[in-house]
Amino acid sequence: MPAYKAPLREIKFILYELLKADSLSNTVPAYAEATPETIDAILEAAGQFCEEELQPLNHSGDEEGCHFENGVVTVPKGFKEAYAKFVESGWPGLPCDPEYGGQGLPKLINFAVEEMICSANLSFGMYPGLSNGNYNAIHAHGDDAQKALYLPKLVSGEWSGTMCLTEPQCGTDLGLCKTRAEANVDGSYKLFGTKIFISAGEHDLTSNIIHLVLARLPDAPAGIRGISLFVCPKFLPTADGEVGPRNKVACGSIEKKMGIKASSTCVINFDGAQAWLVGKPNKGMSAMFTMMNTARLAVGMQGLGIAEAAYQGAVTYAKDRLQMRALAGAKFPEKPADPIIVHPDVRRMLLKMRALTEASRALSYWMGMELDIAAHHPDPERRAAADDLVALLTPIVKAFLTDHGFDAANLGVQVFGGHGYIREWGMEQLVRDARITQIYEGTNGIQALDLVGRKLGTGVGRLARRFFHPVSEFIGVASEKPEMQEFVLPTAKAFAKLQQATAWLAQAGMADPEEAGAAATDYLRLFALTALGYMWCRMAEIALEKKGGSEAAFYEAKLAAARFFMARILPETNSLFTMLTAGKATLMALPAEAF
Amino acid sequence: MTIERAAVIGAGLMGSGIAAQIANAGVPVLLLDIVPKDATDRSAIAKGAIDKLLKADPAPLMSKAAAKLITPGNIEDDLEKLEDVDWIVEAVIEKLDVKQNLYRKIEPFRKKGSVVSSNTSTIPLHTLVKDEPESLQRDFVITHFFNPPRYMRLLEVLGGPKTRAEALAAVSDFGDRRLGKAIIAAKDTPGFVANRIGVFWMQAAVNAALDLGLTVEEADAIMGRPIGAPKTGIFGLLDLVGLDLQPHVDASMRAALKPDDAYQTVRRDFPLMERMIKDGYTGRKGKGGFYRLQRNGADKVKESIDLKTGEYHVSDKARLESADAAKGGLRALVTHKDKGGQYAWAVLSKLLSYAASLVPEISDDIANVDLAMRTGFNWKRGPFEMIDQLGAAWFVEKLAAEKMVVPPLLKLAAEKGGFYKTENGQLQYLGTDGAYHALKRAEGVLLLADIKRASKPILKNGSASLWDIGDGVACLEFHSKMNAIDPDTLDMVKKSVAHVGKNMKALVVHNEGENFSVGANIGLALFAANIAMWPTIEDLIGQGQAAYKAVKFAPFPVIGAPSGMALGGGCEILLHCAAVIAHAETYMGLVEVGVGLIPGWGGCKELLLRNQPGPKDPKGPMPPVAAAFETISLAKVAKSAAEAKELKLLRPSDGITMNRDRLLFDAKARALELLAAGYKAPEPKELRLPGPTGRTALQLAVDGFRLQGKALPHDVTVSDALAEVLSGGATDFTGVVTEDQVQKLEKKAFMALLRTGPTLARMEHMLTTGKPLRN
Repeated sequence: MPAYKAPLREIKFILYELLKADSLSNTVPAYAEATPETIDAILEAAGQFCEEELQPLNHSGDEEGCHFENGVVTVPKGFKEAYAKFVESGWPGLPCDPEYGGQGLPKLINFAVEEMICSANLSFGMYPGLSNGNYNAIHAHGDDAQKALYLPKLVSGEWSGTMCLTEPQCGTDLGLCKTRAEANVDGSYKLFGTKIFISAGEHDLTSNIIHLVLARLPDAPAGIRGISLFVCPKFLPTADGEVGPRNKVACGSIEKKMGIKASSTCVINFDGAQAWLVGKPNKGMSAMFTMMNTARLAVGMQGLGIAEAAYQGAVTYAKDRLQMRALAGAKFPEKPADPIIVHPDVRRMLLKMRALTEASRALSYWMGMELDIAAHHPDPERRAAADDLVALLTPIVKAFLTDHGFDAANLGVQVFGGHGYIREWGMEQLVRDARITQIYEGTNGIQALDLVGRKLGTGVGRLARRFFHPVSEFIGVASEKPEMQEFVLPTAKAFAKLQQATAWLAQAGMADPEEAGAAATDYLRLFALTALGYMWCRMAEIALEKKGGSEAAFYEAKLAAARFFMARILPETNSLFTMLTAGKATLMALPAEAF
Repeated sequence: MTIERAAVIGAGLMGSGIAAQIANAGVPVLLLDIVPKDATDRSAIAKGAIDKLLKADPAPLMSKAAAKLITPGNIEDDLEKLEDVDWIVEAVIEKLDVKQNLYRKIEPFRKKGSVVSSNTSTIPLHTLVKDEPESLQRDFVITHFFNPPRYMRLLEVLGGPKTRAEALAAVSDFGDRRLGKAIIAAKDTPGFVANRIGVFWMQAAVNAALDLGLTVEEADAIMGRPIGAPKTGIFGLLDLVGLDLQPHVDASMRAALKPDDAYQTVRRDFPLMERMIKDGYTGRKGKGGFYRLQRNGADKVKESIDLKTGEYHVSDKARLESADAAKGGLRALVTHKDKGGQYAWAVLSKLLSYAASLVPEISDDIANVDLAMRTGFNWKRGPFEMIDQLGAAWFVEKLAAEKMVVPPLLKLAAEKGGFYKTENGQLQYLGTDGAYHALKRAEGVLLLADIKRASKPILKNGSASLWDIGDGVACLEFHSKMNAIDPDTLDMVKKSVAHVGKNMKALVVHNEGENFSVGANIGLALFAANIAMWPTIEDLIGQGQAAYKAVKFAPFPVIGAPSGMALGGGCEILLHCAAVIAHAETYMGLVEVGVGLIPGWGGCKELLLRNQPGPKDPKGPMPPVAAAFETISLAKVAKSAAEAKELKLLRPSDGITMNRDRLLFDAKARALELLAAGYKAPEPKELRLPGPTGRTALQLAVDGFRLQGKALPHDVTVSDALAEVLSGGATDFTGVVTEDQVQKLEKKAFMALLRTGPTLARMEHMLTTGKPLRN
């Protein structure tokens, strides 16, 4: 089992040195409490909890999995106790509204905590993660009574939450949803239908489970415009907010699946379960999207967490494992063989993991900070700009970081060789756990369509402006500095390709939506790599400034990773550009029956 | 005979509107009405009508100056003035005795051989004149204008059995050339051509909506754009024309049409509408109609009436798949399964077969009918063009399958393969004789559509084409969406100038779109700006400046021939033309500031040149700068070609053509005229501009507006940039500034503004809402 050490120095580099997150407490009154002292204390505690409580349960949880018997789901050994400690320390309420008992800390800080949880134990992270999505939706769309009833319990972690969207015939296309709601005389509804793939749908961690369910009202229009959102608790709360009688909602079975085995994935049956409308009738999709957008970023953090864990495991192994000699002669002649880290190809794998992980952390944390600005900055224009930027980059963070999580996990296995493939070392678990992140909350293909079909066109490119303008200005200024040339020039080239590709996409995609669809995935990756190039430029700028100080090795390593990125990762943008502008012809030529 | 003076009797909405259009043509016109009881001013009604003409929106007058051509009077004291008048239009109330009394009253006074016409829409000609003297009958015609007379192109004209051919011809020719109307030779049948079909359509559309249980929003969502009618649809149209008119129209049609006419079965009483009229809900002119605007605090909320209960509710956007399906053609609409599709079929099946049953009763040919519906009801296609779009044979089969009557002419069209066909590049229509006949154009009418049917373009790309229009003259046609100017358009401008320079003699810039050009494609510019493609945008500015410069300094004449909107970059190309022949309904303006920009393709420069002082004007560098600054900074748009002259967007020597169909012919004639006079390209001019002192003066003025709250923060930024360009940058009035230098300043200022957030926000707002953002 690879050991996990919370990368606090890395996290603080991004928070304080790159993003200047300590400024949030000054510029955004809502975050006055988020001083560096507070943030540091939280990060230390979270890191310790992840290292000591969650990570040791990761392998055993995977081996044991969840249990299902007579509609009852029990989580693997140790999870209940860990969850109790998690709740006791107040982690669920970290980013939540103080009005409902939360700590009101920036989402950015929660992003860092989420990353660490996902590195340590992705399955465990699912339970509080779903609760947080549930909390966000009720907070944004629930009425006062619903908020007063559910939010304090979700914030405390006493109750947990789910998001019930998927049905057997209804996955990506939520318009196909069949679950129906019938009105009761008291203004509540009865739900009938079956939901599948419901993460945390049933378990024994909390005294109640609050389902948020998409369903149709009797007179609802067909398709996506006829979906409403309902809140449906497993136990009907009593007037004083305690757990009351059991509702007619039950777990039919749990899935046997590739990874995240300690997370219960449930079939949930609603047999006339009592539920209440959240938000307006037939406006369930927009309510769901509030939840989905933050959830998509959270899934991106899962990718990042896995990548970090895989990297840490692989580095330890590459330093320990003695095999062969370095190609140019022995590096450690006193040992029976050299550690495999001497080999260029092993280094290629490690550096690829590292360079992408560090830049991914920078990109995703940046979005975390912009989320906070969008929510609470006093200047409405700054809020709007932040909202635009997050909307634009959410599909990129979700898709790219989860692709990277999976790729990094695979590289981790590769570094381990045969030992990576057997279960004992835990590296193959990372591959299996990572795989779902590319699928749920909108497959990565859907993310790419969201980017090209929805986000680029919004406001005739207004969202794009929030990224392109600062990058363009940065390149203009930074390219004047001689020591920055080696980073800025390759990034400027990639940026120009991205601009060209965007203009091409706008024209070709406008004329023919299939062109946009054919280019989408490659375009998203081109965009992501360019954004990471920009992140590396900014990180390198800091490292250049500080490399003469007391942490020379830390900053030199940053520069080394930045150079590796510019030389051996960013050039992929060239081939991506060539591929995506090749158009749809070769994809669409073959008739379906010829496949 | 020619008509040089006219009179209109009856100064109501139609009468005064007709008088205004006659004045718009530059022809003096008497406007007479009755003497009001106990009036101190015996011509008060006509005078009041002229006052209203000056205030009305949309304006019936093309310029304030035109109002001076209208002489008010009354039918007691001013009848002697009729002795100079060549054409007398009667536009009094639709009462037979009133009209006949008037005819008798004027008969002794009118000039011998002058034409008398009635604007009646409901009384047959033979009834009007049956008791009148032979002299009047010979000079009498009906001229049926549509409301509002300036903007509606249709003029139905007919004479009686005794009417002199010259009388009919004189009025028709005047209506065509001077008033710019599409003349339809009608017959003495109820409702003539357009209303006969239009009134049937309105009845059919209302009743089918009631039968199928559509809401007013749903009905209008189908009966508007999807069938090719204006977006008001049916209920919105009733609101516009006035609900109270309908019972009168219906009563007159019922009385005049034969008992077996299909109208008699399609029409129905409409109790809800009767109640609405009684309660004052007569449409937009009353308390509201099928729609009304309710104040809700500062907001206005649009409400619609429930056709079942008569209660108003907040309007809801109709969601009908069929409305989208209509983009795939009329057949896709009428065969759509939803209630919108059923509705379209219910109305069109009746309407189109009715229209087919009316030829030759109301008109000798179908092309005439289609033209009448296009110009009188603003339909995109007339009924026979609609049938052809459905497929005549398919339509007949479907009518037969539903056991509906198929009129013989429709059967004939189904057998022959449609009402229209193109043969040897010529458009032909099906005659009642079963043969196809070429559509003949009047002398002096040259249509690009005909040229396009008969030939291939010399050059073509996605946004523009170059055509040979004969006699060595080429026509550059824009055809991008809304004729917005994009890199392809500019490329074609340059290529066209090069081609004509080598191979031809002159160039006309003209198209038959609704609008000449709405300006540069700002969507493209905004997207490029949003993704920071600055060099690309700068190239685009340079490309436009170069293309327009090539137009201006071409060794041959380039004639602009616009109609409709010519805004921004569309206006700028016209400013670079050697001459412009503008359709009277041309709306020119440099409106860039509305989107936070300034004219970048030479518009600033040309307006400075246009405003250089003439011999009688005050000298000095400042007046031209101030004039150009006012026109551009306020985004002034001329509401007619006449107003464009006042704004100096057109030169005094530029021509105005009243009839759109004659525009290309006139422009080509002007090109040949300039060639015959030995055309030489203009020399580049040098300007004396005030420099920073002038700029400061303009800035002070803008700061003043800002303090008064008349200018917004970003207006100040944009005005400053404009002032910098127009004052000539770092010069002073002792030096000279070249045209190229002004263009450089334009480019620099344009690029600087494009990098500002408020400009980008203005552009986005305009593109997404169609309205300017005030920030």
